[in-house]
Amino acid sequence: MIQVFILLGAAAAMIVVDSLSRKVGIREGGGIFASMALFSTLILLWVEASKPPQVTTYRVFGSESPLTASLKLDPLSLYLSMIFCGIGLAASIYSIRYMELERETGLDRYYLLLLTLVAGMIGVTLANDFFTLYVFWELMAISSYSLVSFRKWSWEAVEAGFKYLLMSSIGSLMALLGIALLYGLTGSLGFDVLKAALASGRSPAAHLSLALIMIGFGVTAAIVPFHSWLPDAHPAAPTPISAVLSGVVIKTGVYAMLWSLFKVFTPQVYGFGWIIMGLGALTMTFANITAIMQSDIKRFLAYSSIANIGYIITGMGIAAHVAANYSGEFRIVALALAGSLLHILNHALGKGLSFLSAGCYIVRAGTREISSLGGIGLKMPATTTSLGIGLLNLAGIPPLSGFWSKLFIASAGLGILSDISLIAVTAVFILNSILAAGYYLWFLQRIVFKRGAGGYSSEINEAPASMLAPLIALAATSILITIMLNPVIDFIQSALGVLLG
Amino acid sequence: MMGPHELYFTASLILIIIGIYAVMSKRHIVKIVIGLELLTLGVNLAIATTGLRIIDGVSHVDALAQSMVAISMAIGAAIAALALSLAINIYRHYGTFDVRKLRRLRW
Repeated sequence: MIQVFILLGAAAAMIVVDSLSRKVGIREGGGIFASMALFSTLILLWVEASKPPQVTTYRVFGSESPLTASLKLDPLSLYLSMIFCGIGLAASIYSIRYMELERETGLDRYYLLLLTLVAGMIGVTLANDFFTLYVFWELMAISSYSLVSFRKWSWEAVEAGFKYLLMSSIGSLMALLGIALLYGLTGSLGFDVLKAALASGRSPAAHLSLALIMIGFGVTAAIVPFHSWLPDAHPAAPTPISAVLSGVVIKTGVYAMLWSLFKVFTPQVYGFGWIIMGLGALTMTFANITAIMQSDIKRFLAYSSIANIGYIITGMGIAAHVAANYSGEFRIVALALAGSLLHILNHALGKGLSFLSAGCYIVRAGTREISSLGGIGLKMPATTTSLGIGLLNLAGIPPLSGFWSKLFIASAGLGILSDISLIAVTAVFILNSILAAGYYLWFLQRIVFKRGAGGYSSEINEAPASMLAPLIALAATSILITIMLNPVIDFIQSALGVLLG
Repeated sequence: MMGPHELYFTASLILIIIGIYAVMSKRHIVKIVIGLELLTLGVNLAIATTGLRIIDGVSHVDALAQSMVAISMAIGAAIAALALSLAINIYRHYGTFDVRKLRRLRW
């Protein structure tokens, strides 16, 4: 609750802080201030998370339950907001040197937008009714449009920003139309009231509103028919922002879908599990095949993000399908959702690491082409080690936690052997995971071992220390989570308790 | 006989359809932004309509729906401002407002 307001307050103070610190001669004042705000938010979230799990709601305005804007704090929103805030913090520390090396200007606005972006994402997870969710959603969306087109001197950023704005705001408006229909149907937007009202019976209007909400949030989550803005928008942003957008912003779309599917539209009443499952399978297959053909390192990583969204959506779809059709199989539902939630964490860490490492190469070599970056890995060993950990985590190589999240989803999919559609989707999932592991390793060996083709000067140094620090911290977190998987799984289980009741 | 709800919902649907048509088919960037605004107006009208209650022939207005429309209009204005500023920057790069000229991004 107070976490959002720290970030918003810091964003409001940013312009003053930046100009004051420039007056006393500290150019990095804005970046340091933003990192401090994000760090204190992360600490506050950590304090909340270490208490025993509970659900608290806060009323913002309005009198009684149906006529109110309210926020909640539960293990699920804590889990996600800690991921969002952590990646935001890493990107903010990384930006301090990166933006200086890339000679970007207007840094006070840059950090202001970064803070409102993270505040919007945390607000989405904290919202307890649809309209509050929508307001924070748009806070996040407008900040990310501006950040994508931040480098407005380049045609790529402006064009990608306009495409992103157009597609994403139409999507948000569709979701808002769905929300308006829900309000007309039930006279309330609080999640608890909606769930109770919608579980009693199905109506065409409720189905229409479900479809509109799924399309709307699906555009931000980049599921396949609505994904085409992502491979343009994410590479066009400054690299730390690419890490935030690819690592966590699309996860808010996944969260909004997950929450509307399980907490508003009961899967047992509205049988939509197979649609979500099919969309997930389509998303990962399309994105994995397209990712292989990319020659630009940031576009490659962006397509791999779409593929990973496919895995998470598939886990959700399997859970919804099993919950709708097999009432006794509660364990499989929980397993599939635990896999999805754990994969949200793994992908955020892995994609944050890979984008931030790619940024180090781009700064030193001055190019984004994978073919001209060949062999650069050996010259920057610390960066390459972090990139390796991130990619191996994404590829799901066994000891790392990325393996366990994929294993959870796959074993949930194989839980009911008599269901052909589940088996088919799980087969597609496993094939895609193997394909993805293959091209991550191929990509890694090109960066590290390929010789001769270097389009960069031969004297390349390691990236500066303040850019390496967030990389090493994220890599250490990946390994720490692998070693201490049990407490993480316990926390995810308490989050599942919120989701499944 | 159409009641006020049906009338307003039909109007909002027409606005939404015109908006989507304009975004899809127009080539001038400012016209696309106008289409986006029409879409926003249609959705806002739909929200306002859901707040209309007719009890014993007297129409009452739901305050929450009204406040939601006000907030949503503010958000729509922010998005329109951003879209127009991007349109200016596109003009600076390409010297045209024709959206067909900006196809430099690949699949």
